[in-house]
Amino acid sequence: MIADIKKLAYQWVTAEEKNVNVANDYYCQTRDVFETKNNKMFDVLIKQGVNENIVYLIYAIIGELGNNSFDHNLGDWPNIMGIFFGYYYNINKKSGLVIIADRGLGVLTTLKKAMPSLKNDQEALQIAFTKKISSRILENRGNGLKFVKQNIKDAKLHLEFQSGKARAVINCKMNINSLDNLIQGCLAILTF
Amino acid sequence: MTLYLKKFGDKLVSRPAGREAFLAIKSYFIKDLKKNTEIEIDFEGVKVLTPSWADEVITKLAEKFKNIKLINTNNVTVQATLKTLKKYSGLNVN
Repeated sequence: MIADIKKLAYQWVTAEEKNVNVANDYYCQTRDVFETKNNKMFDVLIKQGVNENIVYLIYAIIGELGNNSFDHNLGDWPNIMGIFFGYYYNINKKSGLVIIADRGLGVLTTLKKAMPSLKNDQEALQIAFTKKISSRILENRGNGLKFVKQNIKDAKLHLEFQSGKARAVINCKMNINSLDNLIQGCLAILTF
Repeated sequence: MTLYLKKFGDKLVSRPAGREAFLAIKSYFIKDLKKNTEIEIDFEGVKVLTPSWADEVITKLAEKFKNIKLINTNNVTVQATLKTLKKYSGLNVN
C-alpha cells in the first residue's frame, strides 16, 4: 500500500499534463479540499491510536507543506493547479506515511523571485529550510519550512522533500543531494 | 481583554484563515483599545497551531500592543510555533 501511494504520487507529479488523473481520490484542486482531507487524516490517525502529540505535529507539518503549494503557485500554476495528498497508516507496524506533491513552479523558481542569485535546486532547498525568506517579498513570511525541519527533528520523524533535481532528507539532521530524475514542482514524503 | 483562540477553531493552520481571523479581531475586539492595554491570548482548546496562522494573528497583535500575555500554551504545536515566531519573526512576548 505504501509503495502504491508513492508510485501514484510520483506518476501524478511527473506525468504529462494530458495524462494527469485529476479525478482520483488523492487530488485536491483547491485549498479547502486539501484542508478537508487533512482534517479527515487527523481523525483517522487519532482513531487508530497514534500518539496525540504526534498527530498534532503531523497535521501542522502537512498543513504548512500543503498550504505552501497553494500560497506560492497561486495564479501561476504551470498547468494542473492543486496538489496530490495521500496517506497510509499500518496499525500493526505502528508506522505510516503522508505524501504531498504539486506540479507547481518548484522551490528554485519560486525563491529566485526573492533571491535571483540562487544557482541551483540544491542551494534553493538549503536556503528554504534554513533561512527566513519568501518569494512573496512584500509580506513578512517565510518561516514555515524552518518550523517543519525543527519539528521533524524534535519528534524523530523523517521527511524527504524533492524539488527540481535536488532532495532534502531530514531527520535528526538534514542532507541535501542531487538526483537524476526531475520533479518540476515539489514532492514531500513524511514517514513516522 | 482576553482573546480565546479556540473560538476561531481548534486547528489554526493557514495564512488566509489567520488573515481573516485578524480582520475579525481588528473589527470586533481591539478597535478602540489603547496600545498599552493588556491583551491576554488564551490557547486553551487549540489542538494545532502553525507559524503561518500565528504570524497573521499573534505577531500582528504583538506589533500593535505592548502588553501581550500568552496563557495555556502547553500544546506541542503551540510551543513549537511560538518558538519559531520568536526565532524568525521577532516575536517578543511571554
